[in-house]
Amino acid sequence: MKMITINKSEWADGLQKAAQAYRLFGPVKEKEFHSFKRLQDGVLPDLACLNTRLSPKHLIYPQSEVMFDYTLDESRADHHILKEAARDDSPQAVVGIRPCDAKAFVLVRMNFDTPEYQDPYWIRAYEATTLVGLGCAAPCSSCFCTTAGCGPYHEEGLDVLLADAGNHYLAKVLTEKGAKFVAAAGWKTAAEPQAADRTIAALKQASESKITSFVQTDNLRSTETTDLHNAAFWEEVSFSCINCGTCTFSCPTCWCFDIQDENRGKAGVRMKNWDSCMYPLFTLHGTGHNPRGTKLHRVRQRFMHKLKYFVDKYDRGIHCVGCGRCVRLCPVNIDIRRVCNMMNNFAASGAACAIE
Amino acid sequence: MLSYTEKIREIAGRLLQSGAVEMVIGFRAGTVPMMNEPHFAKTPADVQKLVWDSHCGINLANYLTDRKEKIGVLAKGCDSRNIVTHIIENKIKREQLVIIGVPCKGMVDKRKIAMKAETEITEVIEAETTITAKGHGFSKTFEKKDVLQHNCSLCIHRNPVIHDEMVAPPVVEQQGVDRYADVRSIAAMTPEQRWKYFEDLLAPCIRCYACRNACPLCYCPTCFVDESRPQWVGKSLDPSDVRTFHFLRAYHCAGRCTDCGACERACPVGINMRTFTKKLEQDCLDLFGWEVGLDPEVRPPLDVYRPQDPNDFIK
Amino acid sequence: MEHMGIEPGRLQFSWISSAESTKFVEVVTQVTAAIKALGPNSNFAKKMAEVA
Repeated sequence: MKMITINKSEWADGLQKAAQAYRLFGPVKEKEFHSFKRLQDGVLPDLACLNTRLSPKHLIYPQSEVMFDYTLDESRADHHILKEAARDDSPQAVVGIRPCDAKAFVLVRMNFDTPEYQDPYWIRAYEATTLVGLGCAAPCSSCFCTTAGCGPYHEEGLDVLLADAGNHYLAKVLTEKGAKFVAAAGWKTAAEPQAADRTIAALKQASESKITSFVQTDNLRSTETTDLHNAAFWEEVSFSCINCGTCTFSCPTCWCFDIQDENRGKAGVRMKNWDSCMYPLFTLHGTGHNPRGTKLHRVRQRFMHKLKYFVDKYDRGIHCVGCGRCVRLCPVNIDIRRVCNMMNNFAASGAACAIE
Repeated sequence: MLSYTEKIREIAGRLLQSGAVEMVIGFRAGTVPMMNEPHFAKTPADVQKLVWDSHCGINLANYLTDRKEKIGVLAKGCDSRNIVTHIIENKIKREQLVIIGVPCKGMVDKRKIAMKAETEITEVIEAETTITAKGHGFSKTFEKKDVLQHNCSLCIHRNPVIHDEMVAPPVVEQQGVDRYADVRSIAAMTPEQRWKYFEDLLAPCIRCYACRNACPLCYCPTCFVDESRPQWVGKSLDPSDVRTFHFLRAYHCAGRCTDCGACERACPVGINMRTFTKKLEQDCLDLFGWEVGLDPEVRPPLDVYRPQDPNDFIK
Repeated sequence: MEHMGIEPGRLQFSWISSAESTKFVEVVTQVTAAIKALGPNSNFAKKMAEVA
């Protein structure tokens, strides 16, 4: 593992060099909010941003993505054949991604890249992507990453971890991909590893001490699934929900999608679009039956998937990195921290008095 | 408005205890600044959670649709007009409701405050006419009237139009408000400019449907965008599909929208979609003299035929 | 429709009884001429889905 010092005066220059070999993305402020966008020539990622409004998951997993195109025009030799749509899998780098958002890709990978099934669209985009993360010095009051298996300087999922050390960045090069990116940017000044480690550890500690929001997850695994499923608190939890897709679309770990064909005249495309378990259509059967017919069913599904089924299936903690976006954006203030704690304390509290 | 909380708890407790209602729908304190969560109270403990302040912007009429119980519901001016609309449209029966009127001085727009703050807001303290936002090393006091939701600053029905109880005496209604300046500014554009204006307006849309679902009017069992046999609208972020959704949704609200602002308040990406509905609201006023939700006995203009209805547009 | 940028005149309404064949012909002729004069509609005409 290499440690590099990047003087802030070398920053813009290095990114410009890296842009020769990579499509660069980073947080950019537009009107009110920050979002991850392609960095146009000479534009620097805004590293002062607290966090982006929406997660950067779309950079690997776009909200709408064409998988195939086809023609039904019989005068053409390739009619009625699904052909893979043209796409750009050239190297891209996300500069200034937060450790929470990078860790989210690790969780999502567990779904899209398994021994049995590999989603080629997700995997190719993931492999083409280098994640250059910035340690988070100013966590928001709704961030709860440290108890969600992550943290402001968490390294898992990142290729390079940057730490802002005043007049320079310390870059911890974590993977081969990361080493290539640093080389492409021409940043070479080696940092003294032990001193750098100490600096990062101090920054990490300072940042972690600013986190004021926590979830408890220790009992989730041992609590009986059917008991949680039948818990009385779901009525109260789901009451205010309006079943929009804000939580799932802003979430860096939500991975569900729907496949749609669209045609025009004799040509068409088959595409993948994000879907949301909050929508009634998500589980509507061809027969007209809907096994999750009410909002209580759907709200329960979202939390049970993230905080129970995932925990049981993979034994890798909860399906959440604690970025706090759903907490901040929910139009009716449904708070996953509160629900997580209710679920976690359910068994201990006895079925009857699980509320708060 | 801060003094309302005690009165609300008193009324809610009384209604539940006497058996007049099975639940009271109101708000409980939120878990993040400038947010409260819609909450139903059935027990005395639940009643003690009910609160009122300038962050109760969510339209509670949305929580009445097709409910069968006897319900006490808190209602600001806009909520009460949506309740009237619900009664007219048979989504709830008047006899089921005990309407607890809340005279409103406008709800605070958390986006406006966030934009004026240099850092994350971690605490908000409210007084009668001011609101103080605090963050790390930051504190700023705003006049409430400067940071109201846009629709609230234009509101001319702050008092509930229908109620069984009132938590306070009526507030003074705003006079001489220019409600349609935005519509006029769009009307002054060329068709190309208008097209571009709405294209830019909708560009950030992620089709989460928070606007639709926060709206008390959008209660169709299956929305047209969710129909799959046949499928009327594509599901991707194609701009014409996104526009079709917003534009048709606005049409479905014509003569029904109370300009409560629930749609804009809910939007996670800050789209001011009231720009669509305001035009229809103005047309209903100009063409039919119609203001929504003032009287449960009067049918809405798109529901009735009158010989004097304007028909110049038909050739 | 015009409020959001569809050109004036592209959307037209008529009331024609089934007995008014002459009026029907007149209206169709007028509308066709008016729309042709506006040229092809470019707004609100979905082509292949544009994504990303």
